[in-house]
Amino acid sequence: MTRIELSKDRVGELEQKISKSKEVFQQAFERFDSKDTRLIWSGGKDSTLTLWICRQLCKETGIELPKAFTIDEGDAFEEIDTFLHKYADQWNVRLEWGRNDDVLKAAERQLKAEVKVADLNERNQAEIKRIGFDLEVFPFEAESYVGNHLMKTVVFNTYLEANSVKAVFQGLRWDEQAARAQDPYVEDIEAGDLTPGHSRFRPILHFSERDVWDTTRYFGIPYCSLYETGYRSLGAKTTSSKMGDQPAWEQDLENTEERAGRRQDKEKTMERLRQLGYM
Amino acid sequence: MKHVMLFTIDTLRRDVLGLYGNKQGYTPFLDSLAPDSVVFTRAHSVAPYTQASFPGILSSSYIFDTPRSPKLSEKRTLVSEALKSASGAGSVTTAAFHSNPYLSGYFGWNRGWDSFYDSMQDDVDDMSPYIKGDMLNGKVDQWLETVDTGRPLFLWVHYMDVHEPYVPQRRYVERVDASVNLTPEQMYGLFKDTILPRDVSDRSKVDLLRKLYQAHVCEVDEYARQLFGVLDKHGVLADSTVIVTTDHGEEFAEHGGLSHDGKMYSELVHVPQLIVNPPEGTGTICDNLVSGLDFSPPVLQLFGMNSHASFQGTSLFPLSEYPKQGVYGEAIGKLAHKVKDTDRPSYFYREGSLKVIYRQEEDRWELFDLEQDPREKENLIASSPHAESMKAQLQPRINRETL
Repeated sequence: MTRIELSKDRVGELEQKISKSKEVFQQAFERFDSKDTRLIWSGGKDSTLTLWICRQLCKETGIELPKAFTIDEGDAFEEIDTFLHKYADQWNVRLEWGRNDDVLKAAERQLKAEVKVADLNERNQAEIKRIGFDLEVFPFEAESYVGNHLMKTVVFNTYLEANSVKAVFQGLRWDEQAARAQDPYVEDIEAGDLTPGHSRFRPILHFSERDVWDTTRYFGIPYCSLYETGYRSLGAKTTSSKMGDQPAWEQDLENTEERAGRRQDKEKTMERLRQLGYM
Repeated sequence: MKHVMLFTIDTLRRDVLGLYGNKQGYTPFLDSLAPDSVVFTRAHSVAPYTQASFPGILSSSYIFDTPRSPKLSEKRTLVSEALKSASGAGSVTTAAFHSNPYLSGYFGWNRGWDSFYDSMQDDVDDMSPYIKGDMLNGKVDQWLETVDTGRPLFLWVHYMDVHEPYVPQRRYVERVDASVNLTPEQMYGLFKDTILPRDVSDRSKVDLLRKLYQAHVCEVDEYARQLFGVLDKHGVLADSTVIVTTDHGEEFAEHGGLSHDGKMYSELVHVPQLIVNPPEGTGTICDNLVSGLDFSPPVLQLFGMNSHASFQGTSLFPLSEYPKQGVYGEAIGKLAHKVKDTDRPSYFYREGSLKVIYRQEEDRWELFDLEQDPREKENLIASSPHAESMKAQLQPRINRETL
């Protein structure tokens, strides 16, 4: 990874953004013991930057680096797996993996396999009812409506509960998608029937996609090789595609949708219709 | 005018707007546009819900002109496509910003746009399952920063904020009725328990729902003000003709239901429509019967182009040459989305003050005189001397559907 050069002003800007992020971490560590927090690390550029900033702060303050948590949704890029293992080792990060074994087993880890709801355990069945899905089978896809819920949301909630996690750090950004544009730095989530109460801290909300790349490439922060080949946003393997042949940072970041390479799938559209009272 | 903008607000009833006589002051901004506009008093959408109405707005065609399909037929030409094909080398820049899943790329509505944002990749929550107007305004702002505004632009912006579920913020509820004191969860409960089953048995709940809807109208008016501000900031407003309308209205138990299903009554199909900075008629009120087919033809005309061969409507301008004798509508005649009661069509035809409606499911005809009976309560089909001639207008349309 070659480091880029930036103007002094630009570096100053980025440093300011980093210190803002550190303040968010500080707030979290004032409220919670680091042991009770987790950093959500998907291996993407945003969560890797979040982790890098967290490590810096922990080195400066002597706070113990929180454990990291990643979700295996059964449809991951090998490149991301490799990246996570490599830097968890190099950076001494205690990385824990979560997965919905029950669903993976029912689908025999085969994408597109039909999963029979009746084959799932009680918790998964309850979760499917909870999101208003009333068919007997669904296709196993990590980013479909049911898939996303079972493979990510449920795994996340179960992990928080089992480990008594009180707060998580998320690498979300305001400019990543319109739905994020008003997210707060800190959000306290109340406990629900199937959701444990916890707080969410979002230290890099104010970084634009350009800021992330400039910071990453100026400070020599590692990133997954897929970005070099044209991916801008990494989701599940089968639903993410390249947005060009140039590296992400050479694409027109300001005028194109970062997540356009994520598949616009039928399930997502159908889910919106359901929410509006149709279907 | 150099640019054209189509600004559609999903599910907007005509009678909530001050410019159509509502005295509650929900829409000060939209009302303030009237002096710069031609305001149409008798505009009709071609259908009472999005999938059947938008083919009229964006492709000047009726729902049954092509075989039924959830996806937009390749046989239809969107106004964006017509602009791109007519202008060769792309001399008109086209852009769309909306958050309605029925109009998403998945269903084929992304054709012909240089920029197309339908929000389907974004995360939303159950209580407002769409990207709100102010965020769409932000997208428009960003887009205007990047395009060459010296060249003609065609911009379509569509808001979802008055569509159910109605979970308005407190400050908007206060503008309608400060005594309404519901938590967001309670408001959402009304959606689940009253709107979805179309339960109108408790009138107090219907009244409450109407108020929550009106609160969202207040909200939309603010976003509309912002949007015009964005256009002004980029110096394009003064050079733009802006068409403001909706795809359909909303029912609050006028004919036994809620929301917008396959009925052809006025609360659903008699819609608001104004054109800001029109080529003629600024500051006037136009009583022409106007069809929801007649948006795409004037858009091409405003850019100095001929209409497209596939468009069934005509241009609105010159207004004096637009004396439509009557307007038609058609849709699948479902009485509720949740209940698969019928997939047979229903139709309407309006001429003068008369409106005839035919529901194929029950083989039922209705005729109303909207001047005498604006609420469409008294069916004159057996008594009116005009019944047969009005029925004759609809007859050729019935069963013409190619399945």
